[in-house]
Amino acid sequence: MRNSIWFLKGLRNGKKTEKFPRADPKDPPLWPSRLVGSGTSKCPTNAIEDGKWNAGKCISCRLCMPEYKPTGDQSNYKITGSVPGILSRSFYIYPVDSGTCGACNTELLSILAPQYDASRVNIFFTNTPRHADALLLMGVYTEGMDQVISKAYEAMPDPKLIIALGTCAVSGGIIGKSPHLSKDALIEIAGCPPSPYTILEALVRAKEGKR
Amino acid sequence: MNPVYISLLITAVAMPVGIRWRKVSYSLVIAGSLVLAVFTLLGSGATAYPLAYFSLVAAIAWILISVFSMTYSAGYGKWLTPLFAMTVFGMMVILESSDYVTFIVGWEIMSIPAYASIGLNKEHWNAAYVFMVFSEISTVFLIIGAILAVQETGTIDFRFQSLQSDVPLLLFAIGCMTKMGITPFMISEWLPIAHGNAPANDSALFSATMTLMGVFGIVRIMLLSPPSIYLGFFLLAVGVLTVFFAALFAYVSENMKMLGGFSTIENNGSILAAIGLYVTLGEGVLKTYLLAVILIFALAHSVAKTGLFIGIGTTRKESFSEIDSRKSSYLTLGWFLVTMSLSGLLPTVGGLGTWMLLESFFMGAYQYGLIGIASVVAGSMIALAEGLASSSMMKVLSFSQVHGLPKGGMKNSEGYVLFATGGILVLLFVLANFLIQPQFISGLPSVLVYNGFTIQSRFSTADFGLISPLYVLIIIFFFALAAYLVFDRRRGKQRVVPRWNGGVDFNQYYTSFAYASNIRLMLKGILRTRVRDGNRQMSVVDVFWFAMQSFASGYRRFSRQFAYRVMNSSITWYMIYMIVAFMLVLILAFVI
Amino acid sequence: MQYYKTTRGGGRYIGQTRSFSVYSDSITPPIKVEKISTEIIPGELVFNYGPSTGGLTESVRIALTTPGEIIRAVKVDPSYKLRRLKVVGLNLIDAFLQIERINGYHSSSYQAAFIKAAEDALLVEKSRGLDEELILQMELERIRSHLNVLERLCEPAGFGVPFHQIAQMREEVSRLISAIFGHRYFFGIHTLPHSELRIPAGVTEITKGIERRFALLFESLQDSKIFVNRLQGNGKIQKIWLVGPAARAAGLQYDARIDSPSIDYSKYSFEPFIDDGKDAFARFLVRGNEIFSSFAIVNQILSKGKPETADLREIRGTGIGASRVESPQGDLFCYLSVDDGRVKSIEFCAPSVSNIIAFEQSMQGNIFTDFHFNWESFGIWISEAGVEIE
Repeated sequence: MRNSIWFLKGLRNGKKTEKFPRADPKDPPLWPSRLVGSGTSKCPTNAIEDGKWNAGKCISCRLCMPEYKPTGDQSNYKITGSVPGILSRSFYIYPVDSGTCGACNTELLSILAPQYDASRVNIFFTNTPRHADALLLMGVYTEGMDQVISKAYEAMPDPKLIIALGTCAVSGGIIGKSPHLSKDALIEIAGCPPSPYTILEALVRAKEGKR
Repeated sequence: MNPVYISLLITAVAMPVGIRWRKVSYSLVIAGSLVLAVFTLLGSGATAYPLAYFSLVAAIAWILISVFSMTYSAGYGKWLTPLFAMTVFGMMVILESSDYVTFIVGWEIMSIPAYASIGLNKEHWNAAYVFMVFSEISTVFLIIGAILAVQETGTIDFRFQSLQSDVPLLLFAIGCMTKMGITPFMISEWLPIAHGNAPANDSALFSATMTLMGVFGIVRIMLLSPPSIYLGFFLLAVGVLTVFFAALFAYVSENMKMLGGFSTIENNGSILAAIGLYVTLGEGVLKTYLLAVILIFALAHSVAKTGLFIGIGTTRKESFSEIDSRKSSYLTLGWFLVTMSLSGLLPTVGGLGTWMLLESFFMGAYQYGLIGIASVVAGSMIALAEGLASSSMMKVLSFSQVHGLPKGGMKNSEGYVLFATGGILVLLFVLANFLIQPQFISGLPSVLVYNGFTIQSRFSTADFGLISPLYVLIIIFFFALAAYLVFDRRRGKQRVVPRWNGGVDFNQYYTSFAYASNIRLMLKGILRTRVRDGNRQMSVVDVFWFAMQSFASGYRRFSRQFAYRVMNSSITWYMIYMIVAFMLVLILAFVI
Repeated sequence: MQYYKTTRGGGRYIGQTRSFSVYSDSITPPIKVEKISTEIIPGELVFNYGPSTGGLTESVRIALTTPGEIIRAVKVDPSYKLRRLKVVGLNLIDAFLQIERINGYHSSSYQAAFIKAAEDALLVEKSRGLDEELILQMELERIRSHLNVLERLCEPAGFGVPFHQIAQMREEVSRLISAIFGHRYFFGIHTLPHSELRIPAGVTEITKGIERRFALLFESLQDSKIFVNRLQGNGKIQKIWLVGPAARAAGLQYDARIDSPSIDYSKYSFEPFIDDGKDAFARFLVRGNEIFSSFAIVNQILSKGKPETADLREIRGTGIGASRVESPQGDLFCYLSVDDGRVKSIEFCAPSVSNIIAFEQSMQGNIFTDFHFNWESFGIWISEAGVEIE
């Protein structure tokens, strides 16, 4: 198989793309996923309050076991408000790293892997905010990136929306506090880091206009 | 008395006047040029079409330069103006000469004040000496050529007459080529302008009009000479080589005037290539067309080059990175039109000239035999060089008027002169129909292009190519208007945002040096680029000058060694030399 | 501290922490490091890349000084996403939650460095089982990290098919890690009261399948002249202070797996892969071949069944310890001072700092189009270079 025709090599490898989110995920991770349980438990980020689990603060440290258990359910996201329908056929995302550990960055880029294939659901990445529909924030608030994020948001044309990816961006997690613009986020994807299943499902549902 | 002598008289008066009253002197030069132009148009010059044409072109250039000089020459000392007037006087003599002697006299009168003004300005005598050396070389060739031409007639009549052999043309051409800065004599053009720091009006005079005199000289003799394939190929080859190298060196120049000098050399190379093709051909339509090409191209070059140097003069700086003048609409528009013309783009007369030149090589490709092959090669090289020339002109335009300069308008009237030059280029484009032989003018009434508005290229009875300048201008204007109306900023919802540069407030500008670095690296071999890391940037070398210097220093070394060996102050050897010389004389006496 | 002297003279230079200069056998007071001058010569310009731009995974500002096509100097500024982690005063479990998130992609290496430093501080008996589990973590992480670097090298080359095939393999490795450890990035393993480790059935079949497909792809990549051309001669550097794959690609036999006593690799008959090309292609080869040696170690561990997991709850006391492990980027050093089960002071020497300096020096004289390949070939993670731990 030492020929250099990459196209044929690709064909020989076969189709690896899953039908998710139209079908169930084939191999979802246990952590992070939705937790079920009751009672109080030690939580370093106060994600468990009054017997209720708040996904936006959970960092998957597993210290709340065995009172709380993971279900494998990947719908760890929240969509507030409606996404303009005009973006459903072509959704360009501009990711900005505010202060991550690196895990969210790579999980985000993983949605381009063949198993998930974001381009088949019209989700793309762009290199400049001028061509972006959505500003995707990752990581905690840092002084250096604060101005950069504001400038990026200003450089985007309307209609535009904000996505907060990861517990650090949604609530600051255990590292710090969330970036300023996260407060206006229309889509909040929780998890530390959120799995590509969660990310893909959240983006697709938001694009289709579902809450 | 020939009314043209009036113009000579007026200009002669301008010389002494210039020592004290600058503006009056320049006004007199303008008056003299106007007189020359008017009388040439009326047909009472010493020469008829097509040579009278050159007088018209030169007059236009002189008028523009003189108007510019009135404000520009303020700080340059009292000798600049009289020397300027003397150079113009010399050129007028050349244009109105009807015999070889007057021509050569005019040539010298034109050149000598040039050395002086280069040397006097900033005391850079080295550049003046280089200029003088090459100028005198050119005069020597002219004299030899003249002698050979006169010899043919068998009399001592120095008037211009038809010639039988092509050797006078060869010698005359070499002489004129040296003046025009053709390879390998490029240094004679760019060095005095750039390193002699000749003031911009002098640079304009040298580049635009003095080289025009070189073209005039060749054309004058060319019209009298028979066709000759070998000479034609020689001129074609030299012209093509020049075009390529000059365009290359222009592109990598950081010094504005050096870029202008190389641009002149490049244009002269194109004209020389056209001349070469003309010389190879026998009588025919293509030959007539080529004459029109030469004239239009020379016209376009002279006026546009004048504009370029006027523009450089308005910046009052030497290199692109130093420019700190302000933008203004007149300056921008003037620069734009001038650089368009030098890039060979419509709707300027430079575009027409380039079109006609390339058309003639396309047509040449249809000729049989060597001429066809040579045309293909030459045409390709010229097109290649035109590409580099366009990039050079883009560089000039961007870094002089578009790029990162604050708005603020002009300080004086020099900008209007530049704008006027640009306007003249467009005007000449539209009026070109009147400057070309009637056999190439016609029309396409079926598409509303009336008779007299198209220029055709032809080498037989059928048309080859077609252009209609007036209609091109009209169409461009309408498209531009439509685009403006559609994208007008006041329409629709628009939000003005600051520049995006990765999220930081960092405004950086691409420097003019960096602009040309791609060619400096890609053509490392030809340009002998040296990249030094640490404290130096890249540097390139003019290979021909380098070759000449190496040759010259090699020769000096050889002659010194020879002198030490041969003239070794040993009596024995001197005796041997004397005996050998004596024997040689005896042998020669026997033989002859 | 059992393994580190505090006087000069011990082995190769690893890097700097806040208070020390670290060598392979000793730590000393810090030495001065010289900086590259980035003054501008006339005709040059500074080209700003970042901090927020496409093409970079994280936020970092890179300033390129150039006179045109070639790059004369590079200055990397990782301080834009500077995070301040407050770890001092916390007990080991709470501190650990932040330590494993310093560099999420190389989380195992940080976990291993911290645990080993804590064991060293508190003179805990080293248990073979614990080492085995950490080695399993680190080698799986190494495989995934190297796959990530190779994937990032294919992207600027416009190599769509290999890019996606490697992305698919990387995702399979992530799912494997998730199946074994419960979390794709090894978070939350050592803070649990009991081990959640699971060895799924047929796991060695999965690993062998990935390894086989990778071997074919790796060979094809080396056959592709277009790809190899972009990497060869690009970013040459050979200095004695290099670490990790960059050092091994310069012919230097530097690998913490064989010269650091913190973790014992002697059971696995492991030899580091050395190439002496010094350029981006050599770094590519080193990383690719290390994947095979890592797979060998992983298969060896997995075939023996479930290894034991370290429990941080068991570690208490007071002491000072240091450890050095081989993260996928190079040597990672950790200095830890524990006071009654709480962190008194902690310092890391991250390999990305050394790799950033190596990148800056290796970029000189290359042209713009080489930039991306060279940057990706070092596999730098800004999250561990731009972080302050208090």
